[in-house]
Amino acid sequence: MDAPASTTSGHAASGVPQLAEHLFRQEAGKLVSVLTGIFGADRLQMAEDVVQESLVRAMQTWPYQGIPRNPAAWLMQTAKHLALDLVRREKRFHEKQPEITALVEESADGGGDTVVFEGEIQDDRLRLMFTCCHPLIPPDSQAALALKTLCGFGTAEITAAFLTTEAAIAKRLTRARQRIQEQRVPFEIPAGPELTSRLDGVRQVLLLLFNEGYKASSGENLVREELCVEAIRLTALLAEHPAGNQPATHALLALMLLNAARLPARVDSDGNILRLKDQDRSLWNREMIARGIMHLGQSATGEEITEYHLHAGIAACHDTATDDASTDWRQILSLYDRLAAIDDSPVVALNRAVAVANVHGPARGREAIEAIPGRSELASYYLLYAVLGEFEVRLGNDLVAASHFHRAVQLAELKSEQAFLARRLRGCEDRLKCQPGPGQSRLDAL
Amino acid sequence: MNSTSEKSDYLLLFRGTDWHHGRSPEEIQKTMTEWMAWFNRLIAEGRCKGGQSLEPEGKFVSGKLRNVTDGPYAEAKEAVAGYFLLSVDDIEEALEIAKECPTLGFGTIAEVRPLMARCRASVLAAAEPAGAHA
Repeated sequence: MDAPASTTSGHAASGVPQLAEHLFRQEAGKLVSVLTGIFGADRLQMAEDVVQESLVRAMQTWPYQGIPRNPAAWLMQTAKHLALDLVRREKRFHEKQPEITALVEESADGGGDTVVFEGEIQDDRLRLMFTCCHPLIPPDSQAALALKTLCGFGTAEITAAFLTTEAAIAKRLTRARQRIQEQRVPFEIPAGPELTSRLDGVRQVLLLLFNEGYKASSGENLVREELCVEAIRLTALLAEHPAGNQPATHALLALMLLNAARLPARVDSDGNILRLKDQDRSLWNREMIARGIMHLGQSATGEEITEYHLHAGIAACHDTATDDASTDWRQILSLYDRLAAIDDSPVVALNRAVAVANVHGPARGREAIEAIPGRSELASYYLLYAVLGEFEVRLGNDLVAASHFHRAVQLAELKSEQAFLARRLRGCEDRLKCQPGPGQSRLDAL
Repeated sequence: MNSTSEKSDYLLLFRGTDWHHGRSPEEIQKTMTEWMAWFNRLIAEGRCKGGQSLEPEGKFVSGKLRNVTDGPYAEAKEAVAGYFLLSVDDIEEALEIAKECPTLGFGTIAEVRPLMARCRASVLAAAEPAGAHA
């Protein structure tokens, strides 16, 4: 393997060299994209195998020869050489050989025009994004495949991120690869009218990735927070590319950045979940908020207002409030009103009820919940009871609040959320114990 | 080879080439970082004189006719993947080093082989002036 020879000074003198965090994962995502461009989407697995082999080669040589000056270029060059070896061995690839030989030699010249080089990688990554998010692939398989191929996640890591079993993830990946082969899913950026609808699909998968990470990234499971980071990375890639540079993409990116900015403050030092109003706002990521606001600005160029715009606007209201008391709940409520008009999901309506309560008081919030048309769909959703419990606490009905929190604890799936709700429940019980009376015996019966 | 008389040489062989099977890029990077730190430390301590990985495939030469063949290859779990040349006090110390190998949990077998010391007779024979029979 004749990879670029330039290495750092050597093992003995340089102490313990360090690689950038997640370097292999990130480079693997790029390499799979480039190699899929060479082998074709139907041989995605082959591309993944070659990437794995390149990483193993690094492991076999870097400890002895030192880390190359440009590890990413080393990996790319090694992967291309391995691909060339494979192409030479396999008859069906013969027509590809001149093409890939040129590719290997071109980048061996010392990079040449690195801007063009990076641009080509970005094109390939976007092509793979459209392949993974193709409508012929089942949606849950799309997300798993994107994580595996574009983000360089392992099956075990995807399993942890989606809170499921390895067998289930393996099945989703197999199904996705089968569909790509059987249906001849292309490796290309769609053009013309198709681009718009396909972009919608890509954005939905990216939001799904983000939400999977966001909804439970509370310290008990670190890989989930990384899921948010990956979703942001891919969305930024899409927003930067001419094909994806649309208001809705910027709105989606703003939504992610403005919500992820608060992640560092979501739990206290003991790992307990903190409500927005109890969070230390100095821990919010100012840089992400600034980026989010910038993309929110870039999203305001079109005529269409998507749900991404409205969600991003709501997050911006929270992020720009200096403290809980100065939160512009009227603006948030107005955004929820508009959101409810285009998205009739009961979860949106539930969140709107929180805004109603903060503008018009908890009694009106409770009424808003009672008026949700599809309320029965929320019957086993723990947040319904958590929200009702908060309203009742504020109305001074600790007994009713306790019964709601009790139900919420039973329905919550995550330990961190169960613990949070149990604390709210204990708060109600403690207050009730201070005022003995008929309430006491009824509480015991809960 | 022995620069300091009290040290002995040991070859530490790493067997098993599929330690990475099913492992993610993140995990491979972690293992590589551990391996690099381990090797660098042994070099810095003067307990390792060098080491390298082996290409997975080579050639075989055998028989009176000096036949060159491509096999037979050892199974992946037994194939030699690389080696360190250790310079340590005794086999106990070599074994302690072998136990630190970062991929032991993933199928690697570390084999410690003492290099045969040169016996006194051969050392003396080598010192005999050449050309006595000429």
